[in-house]
Amino acid sequence: MGAYLSVPTWWQRLDSRYRLVLGRCTECGAHTFPADGPCVECAAVDAFEEVEPEGTGEIVAHTVIENGAPPEFAGLLDAEGAIGAVLVELDEGARVPAMLTDCDPHEHGRGDRVEAVVRRIYEGEGVVRYGAKFRPL
Amino acid sequence: MRDVYVVGAAQSDFGAFPDESYRSLFKTAFDGAVDAVDGEFERDRIDEAYVGTLGVGGRQLGLSGPAVTEHVGLDGTSCTRVENACAASGVALRQAVLAVRAGVADVALAGGVEVMTDMSGEQTRYWLGVSGETEWERMAGTTFSGVYAQMASAHMAEFGTTREQLSHVAVKNHGNGAKNPHAHLRFECSLEDAVAGPSVADPLNLYDCCPTSDGASAVIVASREAAEDLTDRPVRITGTGQASGRVGLFQRPTLTGIPATEQAARQAYDEADCGPEDIEFAEVHDCFSIAELLAYEDLGFCEKGEAGAYVERRATFPDGERPVNLSGGLKSKGHPIGATGTGQVVEVFKQLRGEAGDRQVDGLSRGLTHNVGGSGGSVVVHVYEGGWA
Repeated sequence: MGAYLSVPTWWQRLDSRYRLVLGRCTECGAHTFPADGPCVECAAVDAFEEVEPEGTGEIVAHTVIENGAPPEFAGLLDAEGAIGAVLVELDEGARVPAMLTDCDPHEHGRGDRVEAVVRRIYEGEGVVRYGAKFRPL
Repeated sequence: MRDVYVVGAAQSDFGAFPDESYRSLFKTAFDGAVDAVDGEFERDRIDEAYVGTLGVGGRQLGLSGPAVTEHVGLDGTSCTRVENACAASGVALRQAVLAVRAGVADVALAGGVEVMTDMSGEQTRYWLGVSGETEWERMAGTTFSGVYAQMASAHMAEFGTTREQLSHVAVKNHGNGAKNPHAHLRFECSLEDAVAGPSVADPLNLYDCCPTSDGASAVIVASREAAEDLTDRPVRITGTGQASGRVGLFQRPTLTGIPATEQAARQAYDEADCGPEDIEFAEVHDCFSIAELLAYEDLGFCEKGEAGAYVERRATFPDGERPVNLSGGLKSKGHPIGATGTGQVVEVFKQLRGEAGDRQVDGLSRGLTHNVGGSGGSVVVHVYEGGWA
């Protein structure tokens, strides 16, 4: 069992899942992830032009989960022993929630530079879901 | 607008009760609230009922409100189920207050119930992960404790908040809860214990996290005219405020505060014609130790960034300048999600009437409750004064 995120829902924003496509607000210029809903800065709606970011940024909040992962990530936690779950502030300005990869999450935290890479996220309804994780630069 | 008074409030024990159902727990709370009314009280005086529940485990996915009010004999009474995650019954109370103010009801019931301990660990983790933002935050592997851990990491980096300061919250709330016969975790803990707990979501450890609990709570509110008939020791609700915030932390303007708390508090203070400096004690939403520190700052009890030092100098301990979570809080009293908001009201009601037993702090006249849904997607704040005010 995992959180119910249907396959159609997952597919609706594959550009943002794979390439972190952002919304640039035509009213104030701020960037919002994903390119959906209101601007995080000025709350303007229907005011995004889609932008593909560089995929690099800085960790601004950080946790290492060693217990109690939701069921869809229980296997990953067993295999890796710990999951680094971070908020990354992209160089364009938007904040993205993501996992760390290709590193020991205990050794990285706020202020570290990271870049996005596509990885396997989890499997739901028999479909492997891919998306962006971040690895240290 | 009509004045609104709490005339009865009670909770079941919070804990793990394999012999109880969500209906029997609610009945215990409801019967207690009716017993707490000083005068004669017939349940058919209740005009409107609002029941907060998340429905963990999906045990009664639809009609969970009417399912518990029918069980206590409120046959035919309008009942609405309220779901705002952990703020469910705080919001239910606000709905009851608004109904009385509007003149739709002279007497209204607000309550909540949750059963959380009878599921497998896997099911519990499935349901509680859903309290946050599902599509992006949870799919980034972030647990519910993980979201608060991220806020803690940011608060520690930005303001120098320390591991020990987080643990002071646990020490205080366990000390208070050990004196509360209804509390789930009735033991004291030392600072050494609290600092050394096993990691859950770094930097938060087990002592930074509230338990999952079974339990129910119920509050009866009334217009002044109805209240005069029912009690000589009223508790007036002088202010209510509610705000929503971005459900996902990653889309909020700050990582070190909850904007919806500030907004809800401002509304409640304005209505009550007071400020944070006038609040003598409070029950705040301490699902995690960092959440209590954020509440101090967002409610205006101390300056931004100074919550760690504030608890460290014991300002919020029972003998401090502004006791917080005298009930034990979510940390020690327990957190049956839907029952938590009105559970906070039970403590304020008892403290203002001098009925809090071993944990009574004398001379209190104005208190506050603060109930948060998710990591800040919904916040509701109420201000109370003892007497007809």
